[in-house]
Amino acid sequence: MLEINKLSKTYDGGKRSLTDVSLTAKEGEVTAIIGPSGAGKTTLLRSINQLIVDDSGEILFDGQDIRKLNHRQLKKTRSKIGMIFQNYNLIESLTTIENVLHGSLARKSTLAGVLSLYSKDEKQEALQLIDEVGLADFAFKYCSDLSGGQKQRVGIARSLMQHPKMMLCDEPIASLDPRSTTMVMEILRRLADEKHMMILINLHQVDIAKEYADHIIGLNNGRIVFDGATATATDRDIENIYVSDAPVAVG
Amino acid sequence: MISKPEKQLGVVPASRPVMPKLNLSFRLKDKRRRTIYGVIMLLMVTTLATVPTIIPKGVNLVAATQGLIDNIRIMFLHPAVSNTSFGSLVGALVQSIALAFLTTLIGAIFAFFIALMASRNLAPRWLIDIVQSAMAFVRAIPTILWVLIYSVALGLGANAAVIGLTFHSVAYLVKVYADSIDELPKDTLAALRAMGVGFWPLVSQVILPTVMPSFLSWTFIRFEINFANAVAVGAAAGAGGIGYQLFMASGFYFDFHEVGMIVYLILAFTIPLEIISYKLRTRYIKRAGK
Repeated sequence: MLEINKLSKTYDGGKRSLTDVSLTAKEGEVTAIIGPSGAGKTTLLRSINQLIVDDSGEILFDGQDIRKLNHRQLKKTRSKIGMIFQNYNLIESLTTIENVLHGSLARKSTLAGVLSLYSKDEKQEALQLIDEVGLADFAFKYCSDLSGGQKQRVGIARSLMQHPKMMLCDEPIASLDPRSTTMVMEILRRLADEKHMMILINLHQVDIAKEYADHIIGLNNGRIVFDGATATATDRDIENIYVSDAPVAVG
Repeated sequence: MISKPEKQLGVVPASRPVMPKLNLSFRLKDKRRRTIYGVIMLLMVTTLATVPTIIPKGVNLVAATQGLIDNIRIMFLHPAVSNTSFGSLVGALVQSIALAFLTTLIGAIFAFFIALMASRNLAPRWLIDIVQSAMAFVRAIPTILWVLIYSVALGLGANAAVIGLTFHSVAYLVKVYADSIDELPKDTLAALRAMGVGFWPLVSQVILPTVMPSFLSWTFIRFEINFANAVAVGAAAGAGGIGYQLFMASGFYFDFHEVGMIVYLILAFTIPLEIISYKLRTRYIKRAGK
């Protein structure tokens, strides 16, 4: 369970990015955050694992306020949160399996991490995950040789290696073709359904959000302008999200 | 509705827009260009003004040129060893190579760790400023001078040469290593930090594999520089090696046959070095850039 209360963030230049954002996300659900470019979607997502430090508010994850954790506790909490990105952020000069094994680094001792000492079980698990995302033939290929869709699936496998409770997906399909998009979204959907994970996705595409998400949050100009189940969201609600001075309709 | 685009296609502008008159004098009005041209002109004038002062009076240019050609001919067409043995020259060459290798290796290890404190991707601003300014200071003083400074404390010889060369190598490599680390996308590091990965695993799992090709090529370039320095300090700071032999052959025995032999020996090492470094670089860069 993730609960965000009155989160606000102003960037150094004085630009307001988030204003009193509150939302709740549940295990086993896909929550899509949609809204125009510059609405604060990325800031919101990156505040959750504190890659961006916000100004005020509360982020309750597993009953703990992530904002109040010390360095060590934050590292531990981060290890339970997977994250995938629009531009994948893999280490291109390493192979698929090496990238996936990075997901287990947070559990290892510093020395074992530095020297890449992975156990047989970890390697087995990595291969299994690579197989699950449909890349068994590419396990020992360099990531620089993979296509965008394949790289994103490596990113997902890397996150799964963390055994995460929650996945943060920052525009995961923005650079992908339709076929790869479907593949990635199906995998994310399955993670929510079968592994009971909490999935938060920043999206540009409304139709994808409607197709795969249980819950839609509309963000515009740093404020939540829509919050409701996908099933109950009307076309008018969705359109309103993209109108810059939409009336605040928090459900 | 359909006729509209057709109508537009039919429209031909009555007259073409007039081309603005081409004005090339803007170059001289540009302030930056004016400064650059001004500096170049100033340097040319000072150079021309000083040329007469460096030609000593009473020199017969024809005879001098003839002598130069003769010496070059002796050096490169009749290389020979007379004052020492060929074996000892090879030994001296190996000594210089060893000096260059050792100083590059030690320098690279120190520079790697210091570079971590000098990169925007890893360190706080104040630390970067301190480290980068200290390194800039070390770099600003030439290698030979550092060797001489250390020879005050340690005496002329190999020790001062090793420390002086290493010192300058560290400062040089920190700069280029830190630049390479800076080129890493911030998000790639963020991805691993977001997984709760600590600093040292991050260095070994993300930074090393990504920057290895550029680290390798820079280190190789520095090895070539250090070899040239090792030859120079052999002559200037009594550090031994092929530079000392060169100094003796030219300045002490005036034996141009031997100078030629030494030059060929040095080339015999530097040319393969250049080829290997080129091959290494292209191989690594290919793998990383694919």
